[in-house]
Amino acid sequence: MTRYLRLMRLFTGATLSAQLEYRANFLGAILASLGEVGVALLGIGVLFGQPGTETVGGWTFREALLVTGFFMLTEGVISVFIQPNMSKIAEAVRTGSMDFTLLKPLDAQFGVSTRHLNVLRVGDLLIGLGLIAYAASGLTVTGGGLAGAAVLYLSAVVIVYCIWLALSTTAFWFVKTQNASELFNGVFGAARFPVTAFPVPVRALLTFVVPVALITTVPAQALTGTLTPALALASPLVAGAAFVLTRLFWLRAVASYTSASS
Amino acid sequence: MTTPTPDAAVHVRDLRKSYTVHEKEPGFLGSLRSFVRRQSREVEAVRGVSFDLAPGEVVGFLGPNGAGKTTTLKMLSGLLHPSGGELRVAGFEPRRREADFLRRITLVMGQKQQLIWDLPALDSFLVNQAIYEIPDPQYRATMHEFTEVLGLEGILKKQVRKLSLGERMKCELAAALLHRPRVLFLDEPTIGLDVNMQEAVRAFIRDYNERYGATVILTSHYMADVTALARRILVIDQGQLVFDGDLARLVERGGGGKTVRLQLRRPVTAEALAGYGSDVKVDGLSAELTVPRAEVSPRAARLLADLDVADLTVEDPPIEAVMAELFGRKDREVVRG
Repeated sequence: MTRYLRLMRLFTGATLSAQLEYRANFLGAILASLGEVGVALLGIGVLFGQPGTETVGGWTFREALLVTGFFMLTEGVISVFIQPNMSKIAEAVRTGSMDFTLLKPLDAQFGVSTRHLNVLRVGDLLIGLGLIAYAASGLTVTGGGLAGAAVLYLSAVVIVYCIWLALSTTAFWFVKTQNASELFNGVFGAARFPVTAFPVPVRALLTFVVPVALITTVPAQALTGTLTPALALASPLVAGAAFVLTRLFWLRAVASYTSASS
Repeated sequence: MTTPTPDAAVHVRDLRKSYTVHEKEPGFLGSLRSFVRRQSREVEAVRGVSFDLAPGEVVGFLGPNGAGKTTTLKMLSGLLHPSGGELRVAGFEPRRREADFLRRITLVMGQKQQLIWDLPALDSFLVNQAIYEIPDPQYRATMHEFTEVLGLEGILKKQVRKLSLGERMKCELAAALLHRPRVLFLDEPTIGLDVNMQEAVRAFIRDYNERYGATVILTSHYMADVTALARRILVIDQGQLVFDGDLARLVERGGGGKTVRLQLRRPVTAEALAGYGSDVKVDGLSAELTVPRAEVSPRAARLLADLDVADLTVEDPPIEAVMAELFGRKDREVVRG
């Protein structure tokens, strides 16, 4: 365990130094972060901007802002921690550099999941946390609500990671998989808004088929104290199941690795 | 079924690997057709290969492109799962990729790189040190030794992307051997390098083998690599082993004859030499001809008696010629020399 933590520190150091080699990239990344938050805020601005609109789907402006905060935070987690690693899986399979990962006496899934980090997008994390703090400051939040939100958000991150890993792992068979991550981004866009703002059939889809509700709405509900026990239990269970299933899928993929010829 | 040699470093019996490949006709229409309906075909890359290597043995693994060399090495290092057969490397079953197995082996691929592109090679070494859990004193000792033998001084702190191909290959080798593996799979480690660099890489491999008693399997397109490092040669063709034995035996068996080189005092015509051997080449006062192995002594004696010869040498044909002959043959049975 300590070895794995040490390795993560080392990987982080290496990827940080590598990115510092290209300074001009920073500016672009900051603009991208601002663009993201602008679009997200514009969305709820349009919803609540109508005169006389107090709540949307039972959510006040502050509460909805909370969901936007979790959305931005998740965008940050994806662009800083998840996507930089997952996008390299397909490349590694195509070029055959996956060989080196599989040759190391280190869990290969850990290797491909922690090797890279995009520090340029740390801004997204800060913006997300800032939005959550701002939105929560106008609401009554209990200690229990905070702890619950933290646990549920952790489950949410595990779920997001598993979906990305499962989509990226298909590269072992299909080699090129950029469109799979586009698919995720398209569906995940719906997480900007509280799922209860959607019509019932869409809501069901976003909860049970693609667990978008579990990612942003459920942690926000935990903070505001409006979460049902069923959903509170569902999230960690789904996360656990997703982790086991993607693990098996990953192992299956590695076994059928064909390794690009040298 | 043969029983495995108990102390073999590498034990291979009837190893097989088949792939499904997709075929596509050229051009856009061909691509479209293949997008709609994939034509696939089973290809047998390795078809029943068997051999054993003793600890510390260095073997050259030769064969034309696509013969199955790389596929075999990838199965030996656990990257590919065999379709059939038996495989033990350093006492482990490679396909299970156990950490203790991976710590004992390395695979160097001349055409792929593991070093972090934007950082100095030292950073990659530190990552490998942590991954392989190499204790600091051992790491320092190994680095010291590699720096000396490979001449890494001065290039370890440059970003990898700024290194020349040769410098990068030296660093790749160092990174791949940092954990002092017992079994080395080297797939074209000198490809694209100039003669001096090739020699440096060879010297390093020889030194490592002698120092640690490591077992080495080496593939190369440069016959000089193989002749300099390996006494034993495995030749694979179309997925099957066609020769396993001494380098000298391979030369003896493969070549239909020896090359006789003459330095003459008076010019002769090619026709005049035709009676002494085949493949006659004349260039001014030097001439070259091929003589059947068994006939070398009497023919040389006749040449010396009949012509005004200043110098006469008898050489084995270059290994390239031996290979060409071997692969041109029809019989495919394994020859053990």
